[in-house]
Amino acid sequence: MRRTVAILLLIIVAVGISLSLAKIPFGTPKTKVGRHYIDEGIKETGAVNIVTSVVVNYRGFDTLGEVTVLFIAAMGLGAVLRAHAEGETRKTQPASLVLYTGCRLLFPLILVFGTYIFIHGHLTPGGGFQGGAIIASGFLLIYLGCRERRINQAASNLVESLGGLVFVIIGLLGLVSGSYFLSNFLPKGTANMLLSAGVIPIIYIAIGFKVGSELAGIIDNLIEES
Amino acid sequence: MVNPVLLIAIPLGLAFAIPLFALFWKGAAKYIPPVALVFNLVVSLSLLAKVLENPVIISIGGWQPPFCINLVAGTVGVLFSAIIALVGLLVSVYALDYIKEGATEKYHMLYLLLLTGATGVVLTGDIFNLFVFFEILCISSYALVAYLRDKAGIESAVKYLIQGAVGSSLLLIGIGLLYGLFGALNMADIAQNIKSVSPISVFVPMVLIVTGLGVEAAIFPLNAWLPDAHSSAPSSISAILSGIAIEVGLYAVARVIFTIFGTSSILLFLALLGILTLLIGEMCAFSQNNIKRMLAYSSVGQIGLILFALAIATSYGVTGGLFQLVSHTLSKALLFLAAGYMIYRAGSMEISALEGMGKKMPLTCLAFTIGAFSLVGLPPFMGFPSKFLIVRAALATKETLFVVLISLALLGTVIEGAYFFRVVQVLYFQPVRYEKSSKGIKGEKPNPGSKDAPITALIPMFIFVVLIIVVGIYPKLVTDVLNSAASELLSRTEYIKAVLDSIL
Amino acid sequence: MSFLGNYIYYIGAFGLILIGLYIILVKHNLIKVIIGLGILDTGVNLFLISVGYITKGTAPIFSSPGIDSEYMVDPVPQALVLTAIVISVAVLALALSLAIRLYQHYGTLNLRKIREQRW
Repeated sequence: MRRTVAILLLIIVAVGISLSLAKIPFGTPKTKVGRHYIDEGIKETGAVNIVTSVVVNYRGFDTLGEVTVLFIAAMGLGAVLRAHAEGETRKTQPASLVLYTGCRLLFPLILVFGTYIFIHGHLTPGGGFQGGAIIASGFLLIYLGCRERRINQAASNLVESLGGLVFVIIGLLGLVSGSYFLSNFLPKGTANMLLSAGVIPIIYIAIGFKVGSELAGIIDNLIEES
Repeated sequence: MVNPVLLIAIPLGLAFAIPLFALFWKGAAKYIPPVALVFNLVVSLSLLAKVLENPVIISIGGWQPPFCINLVAGTVGVLFSAIIALVGLLVSVYALDYIKEGATEKYHMLYLLLLTGATGVVLTGDIFNLFVFFEILCISSYALVAYLRDKAGIESAVKYLIQGAVGSSLLLIGIGLLYGLFGALNMADIAQNIKSVSPISVFVPMVLIVTGLGVEAAIFPLNAWLPDAHSSAPSSISAILSGIAIEVGLYAVARVIFTIFGTSSILLFLALLGILTLLIGEMCAFSQNNIKRMLAYSSVGQIGLILFALAIATSYGVTGGLFQLVSHTLSKALLFLAAGYMIYRAGSMEISALEGMGKKMPLTCLAFTIGAFSLVGLPPFMGFPSKFLIVRAALATKETLFVVLISLALLGTVIEGAYFFRVVQVLYFQPVRYEKSSKGIKGEKPNPGSKDAPITALIPMFIFVVLIIVVGIYPKLVTDVLNSAASELLSRTEYIKAVLDSIL
Repeated sequence: MSFLGNYIYYIGAFGLILIGLYIILVKHNLIKVIIGLGILDTGVNLFLISVGYITKGTAPIFSSPGIDSEYMVDPVPQALVLTAIVISVAVLALALSLAIRLYQHYGTLNLRKIREQRW
């Protein structure tokens, strides 16, 4: 009964979406907004990676909202899964020497790679979120490989808050100096250099640290609870 | 003139900074939401006079409108943000003493972020930005429903989360289809080009978007999550969810239908759905024994009535709908706040456990009674002019269908009166229940020592009562603002002109 | 076959969305429902990106100064999907934490049995 109702509902949804999709041909340029961003992107923002200039500069408000959503999820997770103070840690088998040493060797390399990705967000594909996720995967490696190490919860919370606060403060500075929130008020420099594109690298560095510590905090909460 | 962006940016920054404040001063976390909301309230009220004639268009980042995200601070946006700030401020004062256990710092951060998300939804002029702020609102409410970590709370939060997440995905598919068809995400830009494609291919994104937003706005049949979530959350959060979150969802539905898609044939369907929601909500509320569940079903019913009023789509109808929305926000928040301390004192959520509370907690029960009478629509309170406006709007359309529907709505009001009077009778006209030490429910243990609710809870309730009575006696105080808000919501061409022609 | 070649991305995204919706509607285990939510989100993100594709397009990055910008794909859907992926990660993380707590309270993850809140 439930299965048939579900399948009927799905058929209705399928027919509806395909009727609408028939009007959107695949692979043709449709948008004037996208064209404008590609044509004027370097001149107006200074970033060579147009996706970065869209994410941080033209639609920076959405990125601010997204950073907030991740913050809320980390807070909610922490509130729901507050680690018991009763010390009921699960007994884990200690890691073998090869695993332990290998993880400790890989960890700084992963951190450097993640940092490279978010610092060069305006020049190559990548950016704050991608770099932050890579950094968090380094922490996950430490949790799975060297099993008794934990990150400092207080420090991770502090880095998260500071990252978000830096983003909002940059927006407010843009309001004060350029009379628009999140306007690009630092000099744009020459394209394709590391120090170019105004506030975009600064925002991405703040986001990179924030997302890295946030995801590491989420992993820490989940591992400690179960 | 203060930049409306600060209405969103300052609370956001303060919410991020709460852990930093808590480093220096341990108890700082619970005082920061009231500070941020006082700021919001002052800024919204000072903007209100300015935007009555023309909306203020703010672009984020300084680019011209179709190529940037813009905020549209019109009458309806600033009115809503003022109400959000007012109700949020009063409930945060209530929560100073009410929230004592759990990770209280995180509660206050999530609370402030919920209200920031709501303010963002009402002020934005870009449909993907609407989605992002809508997600901020929804996700903080999922986390706050589960805040007490008890059995009922977690179960309700899981069901709410799954339904809400499916709704958000449908909303995103609708936005993707709109982008594919029109090439822009700015609401005014899409509205300008909406006639250039065939109606059938616009119909599907409209249905998807209304369904996605309707999960949060609690339209039948998408509201299965509401009774569980609103009754298992802590009472201050129930007040915010019933008072702000579902109203903001309904505003988003109204904005999308009126501004982007233009008035269309879906409005008749929504009017029918609204009355259906009203009747089902009131009938379910009538059969409840648990007071918070009864209030939650009553919220369902009221949302149905507001949806019906908005779907009438004339100036009278939308004004009546907005007035009813404001009245419901204030009354329902008051009811939940009063119920919170009544439950705390009685130790149980059953209506029969509240016998004789009128003598033990006189001020709180008086507040509850006033809120109940206002919701039903009795004369000296705010609910009366709002319901009267809706009835007049329905009769003014001179169509038999609307006359039939409004008489069904009056039937729903009668049922509502019946169950609220039953609670009032239990509170005042039953002998005092002898105070045994009951087991209590987690987080709401009986507290036989205190007489009435503490002063931090009585002040917000008193301010709500004063507002309900004052606006009930002089509705002219707010009808000008509401008329201007209604005409802004309904007039598409002026919205498009204001946004696309603004010189920045 | 060339007709299919053009629409394969749409059909794939579409199929993922329908599979995700089917799992959420029909399955009883909470973890399976959460996985279905993940599949639904992936399908929606794939759909959003395919809306912006231009045939013979390349990434919109001007890695050397004289690059031809005629055939670059639309950057806006990519920005939208960045945001949407992060939001779906946040929702899934919260859902999993609630599932852990729910298991601790009820001892089971069968949604048919977690029905304490009746009528």
